[in-house]
Amino acid sequence: MSTRTNGSGSNYEYVTARVRSRRAKLFDEDDYRKLIRMGPGEIARFMEESEYEEAMNALGARYSGVDLIEHALHRNLANHFDDLLRFAEGRLYDYIARYLRQFDAWNIKTVMRGIYSDAERESVETDLIRAGEFSERRIERLLGAESIEAVIDVLADTMFGDALAGAYGEYEERAVLVPLENAVDRAFYEALIAGLPSEPSRATQLYIDFLEAEIDFRNIENALRLSRSGADVDPAEYYIDGGRLFDEEGIGALVANTDELVSRLRESTYGDDLDAALNELESAEGLSGVERALNRALLEYSRTLSNRYPLSVCPVFAYVLAKMREVDNVRAIARGKEAGLDPETIEEELVMV
Amino acid sequence: MIGLELTAAFIDAMVLLQQGGPAITGTGVAALAVGLAGFGAGYAERGIGAAAIGALAEDSISFGIALVLTVLPETIVLLTLVTLFLQ
Repeated sequence: MSTRTNGSGSNYEYVTARVRSRRAKLFDEDDYRKLIRMGPGEIARFMEESEYEEAMNALGARYSGVDLIEHALHRNLANHFDDLLRFAEGRLYDYIARYLRQFDAWNIKTVMRGIYSDAERESVETDLIRAGEFSERRIERLLGAESIEAVIDVLADTMFGDALAGAYGEYEERAVLVPLENAVDRAFYEALIAGLPSEPSRATQLYIDFLEAEIDFRNIENALRLSRSGADVDPAEYYIDGGRLFDEEGIGALVANTDELVSRLRESTYGDDLDAALNELESAEGLSGVERALNRALLEYSRTLSNRYPLSVCPVFAYVLAKMREVDNVRAIARGKEAGLDPETIEEELVMV
Repeated sequence: MIGLELTAAFIDAMVLLQQGGPAITGTGVAALAVGLAGFGAGYAERGIGAAAIGALAEDSISFGIALVLTVLPETIVLLTLVTLFLQ
């Protein structure tokens, strides 16, 4: 899945048509409502009769119960995203490949957290999403790594290598994962916008717009979290470069002053989309509600972009976001059911658009 | 070969002009109109066809709909055929 840059012809029409009809097949509100009322066994059966039939059948012999559901969700997600790369040509392929590297970043972080918390290999493996650029062999080696240092060794020849090696010293000093995780995130986001033409064409500009929006939302989420927790952490440490809303110096002052942060967000281009999230914040109901509202706002904004620019990379990214959201939702339902939560509590945890 | 033919055609046109006639006849212009319309329709169908095949592969529309949508721009070519009878 290396990025191809030769050949400029992108087949937006074909990919957008496929992505849109796949998007239409995602679970809707009614499906979620049905799922919430089911037990884990029924959820598994419901999934066998839907999109997930193939993955459920392939994995049915090896896993059972909620583990089966989770594995099937991840396998299906990876298949769909591999399909996207199979469809796309030219520049569009390049954009999608760059974007899907977020799963490499996710896998690295999961493995490092697993090692840090002495988790079982199996439970780490469940959480990996094999949709990125890493080969099966590299993932095997990652899973086999005994220490953080070994993980960094495995990744030395990837785009994360230098950043991780640079952050390792700080990790040893403070014995927290934050510097390493930030290094992974930054390496990913830097690679997203690196090497694009200096005078972007319309298509490239839309790609950049979408990513800037996503980076903004990540920064908003981090800023709200820090602002709420009142922890004595330097906000610049969590700041991701490349967004439109904040800069590295300004974010510190905004985090210290929640009211100013909120009014700044209300005036921003995302003001309308963020309305629900900000109201939630003011009603002071805890941060998880705000995060869900933020996620919903990002989904809505991505949908707006994909409707406004149908022949661009936006519908593809909007689909990737929506699909990831569906996987999160179904997993939340299955895990919630397993833990014996009541339907109302689970419904509150879902993000539906 | 093509170069030779083009030169011959160019000389023909020059001769026609020198004799005071039009550079291109009415039928010629009408043929040009039909050709250009065909070119435009082809370009439009390229995009629609790709999208239709994509939607067809996902089983979200029927073959009939895909076919109708794909050949819709062809109507412009049919309309330009009128110029052939009007000249």
